[in-house]
This record gives sequence, structure tokens and C-alpha cells, in this order.
Amino acid sequence: MSLSWSRTTRLAAGTAAALAVLTACGGGADTADRPNGPVTLTFWGWAKGTREAVAAFNASHTDIQVRFEEIPSGTAGGYAKISNAVKAGNAPDLVSIEYPSLPEFVSSGALQDIGDEFTEADRAKLLPQAVELTTLGGRTWAVPFDAAPQAFYYRKDLFERYKIPVPTTWDAFRKAAEQVRKADPEARIATFFPDDPTTFEAMAWQAGAQWFKAENDTWKIDTTDPATTKVTAYWQGLVDDGLVHKNASFSPEWTGSLKNGTTFGYLGASWGAGVLKGTLPEQSGKWAVAPLPSWDGRPASGMLGGSTFAVTKDSKRKAAAVAFAEWMSTTEEGVTARISSGTSSAFPAATALRPVARKAFDAGFFGGQDIYALFEASGASINPHWAWGPTTGTTNTAVKDVFGRIAPGGPTLADAVKAGHDATVAELTRRGLKVEG
Amino acid sequence: MKARTRAAAILLAPFFLLFTAVMVLPIGYAVWLSLFTEKQSGLGFGGAETVFTGLGNYRAALGDPAFREGFLVLIGYCLLHIPLLLTGALALALLLDSALARARRFFQLALFLPHAVPGIIAALIWVYLYTPQLSPVVKAMEAGGIGFDFFSPEGALPSVVNIALWEWLGYNMVIFYAALQAIDRSVIEAATVDGAGSWRVALSIKVPLIKASLAMVGLFTVIGSLQLFTEPLILNKGTGSAVTSTWTPNMYAYTAAFDRNDYGLAAAASVLLALTAALLSFAVTRLTGRRKGGRTA
Repeated sequence: MSLSWSRTTRLAAGTAAALAVLTACGGGADTADRPNGPVTLTFWGWAKGTREAVAAFNASHTDIQVRFEEIPSGTAGGYAKISNAVKAGNAPDLVSIEYPSLPEFVSSGALQDIGDEFTEADRAKLLPQAVELTTLGGRTWAVPFDAAPQAFYYRKDLFERYKIPVPTTWDAFRKAAEQVRKADPEARIATFFPDDPTTFEAMAWQAGAQWFKAENDTWKIDTTDPATTKVTAYWQGLVDDGLVHKNASFSPEWTGSLKNGTTFGYLGASWGAGVLKGTLPEQSGKWAVAPLPSWDGRPASGMLGGSTFAVTKDSKRKAAAVAFAEWMSTTEEGVTARISSGTSSAFPAATALRPVARKAFDAGFFGGQDIYALFEASGASINPHWAWGPTTGTTNTAVKDVFGRIAPGGPTLADAVKAGHDATVAELTRRGLKVEG
Repeated sequence: MKARTRAAAILLAPFFLLFTAVMVLPIGYAVWLSLFTEKQSGLGFGGAETVFTGLGNYRAALGDPAFREGFLVLIGYCLLHIPLLLTGALALALLLDSALARARRFFQLALFLPHAVPGIIAALIWVYLYTPQLSPVVKAMEAGGIGFDFFSPEGALPSVVNIALWEWLGYNMVIFYAALQAIDRSVIEAATVDGAGSWRVALSIKVPLIKASLAMVGLFTVIGSLQLFTEPLILNKGTGSAVTSTWTPNMYAYTAAFDRNDYGLAAAASVLLALTAALLSFAVTRLTGRRKGGRTA
């Protein structure tokens, strides 16, 4: 007991020391990591502005140096790369993992528990919903970086030109979608992404669904709840009636339709502001952000993506890795360095740092709109009941496979959700876990 | 004699070393991996335990409709791809070989060029040409009244076959052309003297004489088709197309390993695929071997 206690304090001291930018051998815990000279960490990630954040960290720290390697985004191959590296025993110390995939990495044993370094007091600085999503089986697995509340980005100029009211409810969104198509038969209000189940899942999350529920030692999988059914039917209607485009997310056709003004809006999340800004510089000043429409008009949001930083299982530099992750997530310098890169519109999970992010973000693209105030409200409305299961890869692959085949007379969105459900139950059973659903 | 054995050993050693390192060992490791699975307990957050499962992964793969459907897709692919490939490549080779052809070298190079483009690049180019809002081809087709969705469930197979044809037509054309060039000209002259026209010469003289090349290309294409991966993967990842993540057996193994973290299942699927390929290859060598034997007899 006393041993673990002293270890905790030593590690906490190490973390604190690193955070305070103390040079020389400040932290006791770090001495093991660096017999002589600074600790050099390897970090894999892809989020916008990461390179700038790492450069700022390296410039201001002498005890820890970070070698950043950019990898493809998670579902585009980044996760496969991380899994393989862990399997092969040559993984980097720190990796970026989005909330939905974190449980899967934890359950495959790829990560280390960082509860001793990333303490209760540190976690208290962050959005509780984000902390909840990184606490699995009662242990802490990752340092949340951003919360990713949903938002509706739209072409303010076009909405005004055609006198289309900005929708606040999903009913109004459908009406607006009809108006958009009437105004320009080629144009649609937004896009259904057949390659991306997570956007759809965020919609179900917003409506109050809870697909993966852990009760005692059993996973309860429920995708036939009223919220999911409602969202599924609604989107099926939009797709069937041709009120939304059907294009792969971030694909050339999606970007092309934004560029030529045949897509009026984008149902995304906080980080999407930076993506739009980077993709459509020529449309600066024409965009605005609104809260995601909701079912009853009251603010509600799911979470779409959002990054965390986790330490891989074989890393011998856990304390330093956590210290660096905390620097990125919970310090003013870390957040400023990333966001002033101009490409990131991350909404920090660290509540106190939101004014910092707001100041660092150049909102000219949105005509100076205070988008962080909007994220703030939206972030507070994130439905706290959603959790991710340990089979996200399986679930989403199964859903996506059916999404791609959705056609009149063919499979429906409901079929896709069912396929995801069945695949999830089968996978959990296969792993020897107890499952109901 | 001894010196010769030693020379042979030394000369063969590099091959066997490399063969062991890049073939035997990985296959052995895959077989080993395929015998284990990961089991978890509780909610699954306590990490995984690797347990021996015998043939469990093989049963799981064979029992998964998605894996079996992958082979059906391959059969469909072969049925569509191989006739088109053989007739297309043969027709082009015959044209080049005919007396009428001009600028042979130019056409040979132009037709072969697509094969020099890596499969992944080819797939990316074609995805662009298939995408409704971007593609000039789709626009032209629509203007001509042909509405075809390359990403739809019906369009998926033709889309992939089209990419493969583009890549392989020229390559196989070169093989056929070389075979045609090797035909003894006196046979053709004799046929011409007997009054056979170019059509007759092509179909009754040239084609039967290069039958061995045709069979070889056909069989190699079947075996190559088992590996179908890059082109459909690009259609799966980069678009919202109907190509699923388990469309071919190879993609099934990839998805099992990298989307589902199930390395045991992936290894079992790969071993099953390798066995199929080995059986087919064996059949091919036996068949071609027998034909040769028959000819000399």
C-alpha cells in the first residue's frame, strides 16, 4: 500500500514538474526514463495543428523532446497502423485515438492505465462527458483532448439569398432541405455520408439512443430503441426523397459540391470549422455555424469524433508521455500553439481553456461569428448517456457495408443498423463476453 | 562431382534463404496465428488472453457467409473478366500481327502503358472517372441517355472488372503478340496460297497455334484473381460504393485483422485462401504438364 502510494506521489510530482517546465531532474518518476539527457518520446497522430503544437512543446521543454510522426487518420488506416505496431512491439509511446475507438484498443490490451499520472485533479479540469468516455472498467486510459459537439455549418449568403430560415428542429431542417432544392434543383442542404457511420451514430446519440450499455458484467446492445428508430426513419426519408446528397465524407465530390455551391451545409462537429476553412478558403466570410437542429427545439448534441491521447502498452516513458499529453490538452500554450496554426478549430475538453481557443482561432471565415460560444452551449448539451463498446471497428464496418448498398428497393438504413447490431453481438460473444441484445 | 554439388548448393542458397525468409516463415507464422484466438472477460477492459482454439478460426471463417460470398464474387469476377480479357487481348494482338497494322511499336507501347501504372493509382484514377459529380465520362454517358451508377450494387463488379481490364489488357496482348510472332511464317504463307483470307488465317491458323498461351493466360488470371484486393479496397474506402469491406476473401482477411483486430481469424482466412491458390496452381501445372507430354508423344 505504502509502496503504491509513494509511487503515485512520485509520479504525480513528476507530472507536475514537467508541467511547470522545470528543467534538469525535477520529477522523480522521470529519472528512470532518462539516465542522461532528455527523454525522447515518439508520438503518432493526425489532427490538424499537431505539428505546430509539438514544435511549440519542443521549443519550450528541455527535459522531454517529442518526435511527431503524422499517420493517416484513424479509420483511414491510422488505427490499423497503431494496432500493428503494438502487435509488433515497436509502437510509439503516445498515440491519438478518437473516443469511439478507445474501448477497442483498451480491450485488445494495447494501452496502459494512466490513472496514476493523470490524476483525479487533472481530470476535473475537463468536460465530464469526455472523462467518462475515457474511463473504462473504472480505470483511466487516455487524456481527452477535445470534445466534439455537433454543429450545423451553412452557407449564410445562400440561405439569405433564398430566404431560407436556419432550421432549429429536424422538422424545420427537412422543410429547409425542400426549399434548398426548390431554389436550385442541383443543390442540397447537406450530405449523407455512406462511408461514415459515425455521423449517423452521433445523430442517434443526440436523439438519446444508447447502443452500448455496460451493466455489471454484461454488454447490453440496443439499437431498436425509439430514438434510433426515429433517426433512422428520418434519414431514410431524406435519402429516399433526394433531399440530401449521397457522397463519401471529405471525398473530392463532397468538396467539389461545396466549392461550386451545390451543397449548402455540413452537419459536422466543432473540428469541422477548421476543415471547412482549410478546404474552402475562397468562401471565407460566407459561412456561419448554427447549433445542430434537435427533435424538440431544445439544445441537444451527440459527439462526433474527438481525440484523446493514450500511452501504448510497451512504452517505458509513460510519465513523460502523459506529461506531454496533458500539456497539449490542459495548458494555454498547448491549445494556443495548435489553434493558432489556423487549421484547427478544436474545442478543448479543458473547460478553462475555451477562451484561449476562442482567442487563438481566426473566425474571419465565419464572418467573425463567435463559434466557440456556440460550441460551448452545444458541448454542455452533449447527451451524457452514450458509451462506446469494445467492438467499434466491427460495428462500424458492418454498418458501413450496408450504407454503401442503400438503394430504392435494396437495403435500408434500418437494415444497416441491424447489421451493425448483429455483428456487434456476434463479435462480443466470440470474444467470450456476456452480451444481451 | 563434389565440387559440382557444392557449386549447386552455393548457387541455390540465396534462393532458399530468401524463400524461407519471405515465404516459408510468414506462412508458418500465419498458420501458427490461425490456431489462437483472444478471449476476454467481464466487460472486456481487462485486456485479452490468447488461447489455443485449434481449428476454431477456420470454422468461424468458413461459417461466415461474408467469407463464402467473397469466393462467389471472385467466381463472378472471373466469369466476366476472363472472357473479356482473352478476347480483347487476342483481338488486339491479331490486329497488330496482321499485315494491315501500322505503327506497331507505338500501339504496343500505348496499350502496354496502363500496366506500368501501379494498381492503386489506376484505381484512384478510375474512382475519379466513376464519380457522378466529377467524371466527364459519367457526364457524357448521361448526356447520351445512359444512366449508370458505377458505385451501385449492380455496378460494383463491372466497375472493378473494367479497372482490371484496363490494367491487364495490354500486358496479355504483348504475350499473345509474342506468341503470334513466333508462328512459322511459312504456315501462314501456305494458308494464303491455299486461298485463306485474313479472317480465316487469324481464326483457323493463328489462334489454334497459340492455344497454349491462351490457356496459360487464362489460368494465371484465375489464380491472380484470388488476390483481388487493391482496386476493390480503394472503391470501398474512398467512396460510398456498394463494394463491402469483405468483398473478396483477401479483403475479408484485411478487415478481420485491421478493422476488427481479430488476427487469428485473419490468419485462418489467409491460410484458406493460400490453400485454394496452391490447389489451383497444382491443377494448372498438372494440366499444362500433361498437355506438353501429349504433344511430344
